Amino acid sequence: MSDEEHHFESKADAGASKTYPQQAGTIRKNGYIVIKARPCKVVEVSTSKTGKHGHAKCHFVGIDIFTGKKLEDIVPSSHNCDVPHVNRTDYQLIDISEDGFVSLLTDNGSTKDDLRLPTDDSLLTQIKDGFAEGKDLVVSVMSAMGEEQICALKDIGPKN
Amino acid sequence: MQGFTAAAPPAGGGGGGGGAGASDLAQLQSTMQAIELACTSIQMHINPAAAEAVILSLGQSSQPYKTCQFILDHADTVLVVFAEKSQVATARFQAAAAIREAAIREWGFLSADDKRGLISFCLCYAMQHASSPDNFVQSKVSSVAAQLMKRGWLEFVTAEKETLFYQVNQAILGIHGLDVQFAGIKFLESLVSEFSPSTSSAMGLPREFHEQCRRSLELDYLKIFYRWTQEAASGVTNRIVESDSAVPEVKVCTAALDLMLQILNWDFRCNTNDTKVNVFSAGVRQDGDSPRRSEYHLLQPGSDWRDVLISSGHVGWLLILYSALRKKFSFEGYWLDCPIAVSARKLIIQLCSLAGAVFVSDDVKMHEQHLLQLLSGIIEWVDPPDAVSRAIESGKSESEMLDGCRALLAIANVTTPYVFDDLLKPLRPFGTLTFLAMLMSEVIKVLMTSNPDEENWSWEARDVILDTWTALLTPINMITANALLPSEGIKAAANLFGFIVECELRMASASAFNDDGEADYLHASVSAMDERLSSYSLIARASVDVSIPFLHRVFSERVARLNQGRGIVDLTETMEELYSLLLIIGHVIADEGEGEIPLVPNAIQTQFVVNAMETDKHPVIVLSSSIIKFAEQCQNPELRSSVFSPRLLESVIWFLARWSRTYLMSSDGNGDKILDSGHHHEHNSKKALLSFFGEHNQGKSVLDIIVRVSLVTLTSFPGEKDLQGLTCYQLLHSLVQQKHICIHLVTLNSWHELATAFSTEKTLFLLDSAHQRSLAQTLVRSASGMRDSDTSSQYVRNLMGHIATYIVELSNKSNFKSIAQQPDILLSVSCMLERLRGAASASEPRTQKAIYELGFSVMNPILVLLEVYKHESAVVYLLLKFVVDWVDGQITYLEAQETASVVNFCMRLLQLYSSHNIGKISISLSSSLLSEAKTDMYKDLRALLQLLSSLCSKDMIDFSSDSIEIQGTNISQVVYFGLHIVTPLISMDLLKYPKLCHDYFSLLSHMLEVYPETFAQLNNEAFAHILGTLDFGLHHQDADVVTKCLRAVQALASYHYKETRNSSVGLGAHAMGLEDSNGNFQEGLLSRFLRSLLQFLLFEDYSSDLTSVAADALLPLILCEQSLYQRFRKNLTSFLIEVRGFLRTM
Repeated sequence: MSDEEHHFESKADAGASKTYPQQAGTIRKNGYIVIKARPCKVVEVSTSKTGKHGHAKCHFVGIDIFTGKKLEDIVPSSHNCDVPHVNRTDYQLIDISEDGFVSLLTDNGSTKDDLRLPTDDSLLTQIKDGFAEGKDLVVSVMSAMGEEQICALKDIGPKN
Repeated sequence: MQGFTAAAPPAGGGGGGGGAGASDLAQLQSTMQAIELACTSIQMHINPAAAEAVILSLGQSSQPYKTCQFILDHADTVLVVFAEKSQVATARFQAAAAIREAAIREWGFLSADDKRGLISFCLCYAMQHASSPDNFVQSKVSSVAAQLMKRGWLEFVTAEKETLFYQVNQAILGIHGLDVQFAGIKFLESLVSEFSPSTSSAMGLPREFHEQCRRSLELDYLKIFYRWTQEAASGVTNRIVESDSAVPEVKVCTAALDLMLQILNWDFRCNTNDTKVNVFSAGVRQDGDSPRRSEYHLLQPGSDWRDVLISSGHVGWLLILYSALRKKFSFEGYWLDCPIAVSARKLIIQLCSLAGAVFVSDDVKMHEQHLLQLLSGIIEWVDPPDAVSRAIESGKSESEMLDGCRALLAIANVTTPYVFDDLLKPLRPFGTLTFLAMLMSEVIKVLMTSNPDEENWSWEARDVILDTWTALLTPINMITANALLPSEGIKAAANLFGFIVECELRMASASAFNDDGEADYLHASVSAMDERLSSYSLIARASVDVSIPFLHRVFSERVARLNQGRGIVDLTETMEELYSLLLIIGHVIADEGEGEIPLVPNAIQTQFVVNAMETDKHPVIVLSSSIIKFAEQCQNPELRSSVFSPRLLESVIWFLARWSRTYLMSSDGNGDKILDSGHHHEHNSKKALLSFFGEHNQGKSVLDIIVRVSLVTLTSFPGEKDLQGLTCYQLLHSLVQQKHICIHLVTLNSWHELATAFSTEKTLFLLDSAHQRSLAQTLVRSASGMRDSDTSSQYVRNLMGHIATYIVELSNKSNFKSIAQQPDILLSVSCMLERLRGAASASEPRTQKAIYELGFSVMNPILVLLEVYKHESAVVYLLLKFVVDWVDGQITYLEAQETASVVNFCMRLLQLYSSHNIGKISISLSSSLLSEAKTDMYKDLRALLQLLSSLCSKDMIDFSSDSIEIQGTNISQVVYFGLHIVTPLISMDLLKYPKLCHDYFSLLSHMLEVYPETFAQLNNEAFAHILGTLDFGLHHQDADVVTKCLRAVQALASYHYKETRNSSVGLGAHAMGLEDSNGNFQEGLLSRFLRSLLQFLLFEDYSSDLTSVAADALLPLILCEQSLYQRFRKNLTSFLIEVRGFLRTM
């Protein structure tokens, strides 16, 4: 029963366009799933039965793609789960401002200045150090369910 | 801390030691005190490291024998003031250990007298102190004596041994009292265990030494020891039998029984036929493939032992002793599990397994008489079964019961079913088989009532008895001749099987509502029950004409119950019963086959007399047909929802898979010329069965039903991964393995319905994607049953064409980039790629063309997908795996033009992948997501290396009509170029994944060995990178990787040497040293490898397996770099001159 409730909550919270319903049985390891209204990457799936002659259910272990927290859920495998629409976009890094924002160059030539740097120190230094070394950096920004975050860096050679 | 080198006497300190001067005595005493102090402080945890060092130094010092003997003799008299008695005993124990250590080490230097002296000192010590309370010191000293005796075994002449053994014999005869007798027996025990290869202690000698000792003891002494022990035991028997309470003689008798058991456990070899023993495999038993749970071997000591074991009344004595003991169990000092009773029972069981030349070969009666005598004693332990089990339930120990079962197992292993059955007849009104069935029923009854969570005696008893049945019935199951049980035995087996089925069903219905997770899976339960079920099936097959109709009756009855109760009552219990029943029936009527096509079980082939007119009344046909009819009903939606739970259908699918491998359209159903040799009625049964389900009879309609049932499980059970997995991997997969089944499969409407559903039906896109891959593979593979290659190509195109179209259209969409990440698009792209991969891996010559076209049409879209999904590792991996499987299946068939475009495509793929991933850093708060990212990278790279290896194979195997060179494709250049793209991605961190490391170095060493000339033409950067990894590999821990690198180095050096001899450039500039931009001189690669190889060989630890391959690499390196080698030699010589003086003093 409690599974059903979660189902409801997450829908109300996330908004229809940001998630898609998908049968639980089709969600695999390395896929995405919404657990407790958070977008997660699935790191473990196992199936079991509800009673010997009952139907299969899936047990998911997911990791919140933004916070890194571990979440779990159990869903009958023929039921639908919410799957987040996870988008990744590459931008060239133009500048890092003092107040913790980055300035990014979009494809159409304008800039995107509303993205905060990560608050975690080690991640922050990874980005800042690369930038300070004068490398030309491309950052991948991951967005899902109304949140966004830098998820990868790529060095495309020294800055001219 | 004090060392002992100074304290030890200059030369060996034989048996006496009378001439020690006063100063010597003081030395000895101070050493002894030091040791005692050390032992005390270890026990009290005062500076244990230092104390340990003191004790160790005693064993390591040179010739410490006199000191040790002094400690052994005196330790209890001097220091009692401040040391506890027991700690002083520890000092003596340590002294004995020190004697052993020093003597084994210095054996070569000791004089013959010293050696004998040490042995006899230890022996005498053990005997003299036999009654002292510190048993562990005595047994240590006695085992030291045994070890030293073995050490000198091959050098001592017989007379010397005789003298030593004379003492032992005297002791064992009991002349010096019971304690010494006990010590003597214990000494022989440690001696025998020293000489037995599996229990001997290490002496730093070659294996052959141990082998010679073993042989010599077996031939010359083992029987003598046995006889001495026998005499000792019978000498004390009377006292034991006559007295009412425990007497000291019991200890001696127990030790004697143990020693006899130990001797009978000896791995007798000298009297068996194969005299040539491989010393390296000696000690490992050869009968490893027996299906039984209990480790079992026959005891075959040879004809020499007849007088000791058979004709001397040994068995009679033992049985009398044990039956006397049984009467005493109520007395004080005796009970069912007291050591002497346990040892006596073990010896009795061991004697049951006596076989071979020890019995007169042409006198069968002798062996039977022996077994009968034993059985007459053993039967008292277990008969009547119900009374015995009641006694156990009310508190009696179960060990006698279990030992009785083990003895029956031992007897079953040395007899045929007929002899086994007859054994009991002189003693009881029924045969042994009937008794065994009674016993088993009783045990199962107890098992049923006991708590399933507790391991109770009935578990073990059941396993042992099942093994007994297996031992008796396996030969009958194998042999094609008319071997049968006696009719009474058949009846017993039939009753027993009926009872087993009844109990299994009762257990099933009782557990129907248990919901304990893991144990419920079919795979788990089949493999856990598998052994038990195959034993059950042997029992069923022993009475096959009763048990098959019985199974049919039970099955029909349960099915009727399902039909009647539908919608009225809860059917879970009946479903669970049917589940168990299907597993049992599957085991009884068909064998597993283990990858081969299993035959119809022998009993079913031979035990039915079939009337040719009424084959449809054959019990196996009746049973099979009713199960197939039951399975068919799952197509009815109403029945499906009420009767066919996923679990029940799992067992149906499992049954159909197992059954169809034996019976369905079996290819030897019609002719069967091999077996048909006279006895007609036997094979009539088999022929009737196979032709009934053959291609000209019911086979096709059964096949149709199977396909329809599969379609139901795939479409009507959403999300049931286990059920669908069984359908895809077990049932359908095994059907398309056989070409003659494929021929019929592709003509069936149901198969085409399945194929159409696969291409169009939405529900099949919801299957687990690995299942979709398997289904695609299965469907494509069935094309081998088509008439010709045109139809099969057309079939593949129809099946897979729309998938290619979908991918092409999708990749051409203008907004593809923006919709690509939507979960629904992501899901369908993944499914399509999995299906493509499945089809690609099913490529066969006949469908190769169609699958090439399929892959060719999606080549460009694949690159588009790779670009769009570069951040979606799961999709990237699917893309790569599809390309790997596709190239692997196609490459050998491709014509020059096709090869060129495939190779070109692969290179673009590699470049694109590399450009996405080089220099990329994942950023995440979660360490597990980061490690996932690394694992993804590793899997991708492995796939890319596999791709390069597949390309490589084009140069080795090529079925195309013209040479690929026409199109200007040079495989070696391509692969080097590929390596050049891939290697920068392979960080040293990733090489820690063993499989990736292995793949990488396999490919690298192959390339360097086969194409050194292409390597020479690489540019500097690529060259340096490959050399860097080679250097890394040379210092790897895995010997396999090092071997590969050494091979590669050897290949490079020999190539260079040969080329330069022919005045070519060889490796050219790379081999020469060069100056880099900073003006630093960089060594050439060959001199670098020579240096590091010499370094490796001289100063590093390496496995001896590497010596030969390292030498192979060294020679060409030396030839290439003579001047460097000369320098090395000069340095080495001058070094040796410098250290010469030092070396002498060593």
